[in-house]
Amino acid sequence: MKRYVDDIGFGFVIMVIGLSLVFLVMPIVVAVMMSFDGRAYLGMFPPPNYSIQWYQKFFSDAYYLHGLKISLILALIAGIVSTASGVSAAIVLDRYEFRGKKALETFFLSPLVVPAVVIGFALLLFFALFGVFSGLPRLLGGHIIITFPYTVRTTLAGLVGIRKSLTEAALSLGANERQAFWDITFPLARTGMVAGLIFAFAFSMDDVAVSMFLTSPQVYTLPVAMVSMMRTNFDLTIAAGAVVLMVFTVAAIFILDRIFGLDRLIGQGIFKS
Amino acid sequence: MKLSKGALLLLIPGIGLFLIFVVLPIANIVEESFRLFVPGHIGASKDAPYTIFNYAELLKPAYLFYFIETLRLSLICSFLGLIVGFPAAYLVARQRSPFLRKLVVGFLIGMMFLSTMVRVYALQITFGPTGFDKVICGFLHISTNSRFYTEILVVLGLLHYVIPISAITLLGTTQNLNPRLTEAAQVLGAPRWKVHVSITVPLCVPGILSAFLICYTFCMSAFVVPMVLGKGRVLFVSNLIYSRFSEIANYPSGSAVAILMLLLSLTIIYGITTITSRLYKV
Repeated sequence: MKRYVDDIGFGFVIMVIGLSLVFLVMPIVVAVMMSFDGRAYLGMFPPPNYSIQWYQKFFSDAYYLHGLKISLILALIAGIVSTASGVSAAIVLDRYEFRGKKALETFFLSPLVVPAVVIGFALLLFFALFGVFSGLPRLLGGHIIITFPYTVRTTLAGLVGIRKSLTEAALSLGANERQAFWDITFPLARTGMVAGLIFAFAFSMDDVAVSMFLTSPQVYTLPVAMVSMMRTNFDLTIAAGAVVLMVFTVAAIFILDRIFGLDRLIGQGIFKS
Repeated sequence: MKLSKGALLLLIPGIGLFLIFVVLPIANIVEESFRLFVPGHIGASKDAPYTIFNYAELLKPAYLFYFIETLRLSLICSFLGLIVGFPAAYLVARQRSPFLRKLVVGFLIGMMFLSTMVRVYALQITFGPTGFDKVICGFLHISTNSRFYTEILVVLGLLHYVIPISAITLLGTTQNLNPRLTEAAQVLGAPRWKVHVSITVPLCVPGILSAFLICYTFCMSAFVVPMVLGKGRVLFVSNLIYSRFSEIANYPSGSAVAILMLLLSLTIIYGITTITSRLYKV
């Protein structure tokens, strides 16, 4: 009797997980297949024949290409700025003891809990106060803020388990603080730093909620361009664009695994034998 | 180590950026939210009188509905996400093969990284008129145009993110669970379902609460999913803020909604963390 209930329960759980797996994967498969649709219009799934016409359309459409270019520039600059400032803040948070440390950490991670739309809306009004209406500075400000917490968090995660005594040893052996930082702490923080940069890049490329408020007609990001096309002109060029974005995701995961190790990102747990 | 001058220097860029791009802008919308609306500006004019009208207006049922809808659908999503995420995380944590484990973890992280646009578009194609909407609606005996189906779409859109995120968060919890405890219970004759109900789940409650918190705050501030999949009928508070900006350009009212939403999410976070730390002293 006991085993009978167990089997039903286990079967049920497996079924739920299997269904969720289908639910998670199927839309992506459908979107990828549809992006190779050979029909000239948006028809039912599955496509009867395949072609690369939507990719040709995507890569010859000036509107999308401009968005892609802005997205890449923005992700790169915002990623570098937020990594540089986030990593240095995280190093101080990890290596030093001072009053209000916990509060400062919470402060730096706060954009994770402030709804993105609130950040976008607040920045829009704030820039308007100073008469800044062009897209690039506004977007940069927004993207730096939303990516900053990720760089702090990955750097902190990367430094966990690296003993503070290493820096102290360097200091007691006669290095000054600057030398100890550049020769010991900085190299140790490097993996967390690179992971932070990748996270920042990926989240900046992905953002819609903040960017929607801060774009101008000349300066807009690819996801914003895709959203506005989805509302006006829903066709499969967007599917091609989505696949292009997905390639960036896969690349990010791959690099992250090579440099950082996915398991380190999650942790193995204390009972792993 | 003690904080030195050099270390203080390292904190300056971060603190500076946050002052300019977070603290001051939010302080600004707090002030803005108490101004009377004068059309035709970005931001209230400097001499607009102070008023609490922007907040009072939000008590009207039409506006309250946005908040209730957001909280209700977020609750459903987080709950469903945990129901799927918990057993999935448990199975991964107990997974012996390193290859399978890496595959699943890589898959989950990939799903988490997946661009919102890709997600929304893929779901729109799959569950919209070009996909399986008639099949599903036929099965449930509802119209593809009904509000209920739109709500289902929004919930599915959020779940697509919430399932991986809850599984990843709970993985940290379930893999720190001592397997000896469940083995002991089974050796002593408890059936497996009872082991999980009376040992595994209770030990994981703090982790489950924090996963719930992450999912819930994510859902609450969702913007793109309701905007695209909600077809303008199922709208969240985020969308209300956006429409204040894009459609009627009423910035003081938008600020009031934004402040209220910020307070709401901070209250929920504070509430759940307090409960967790009271109960478990972590």
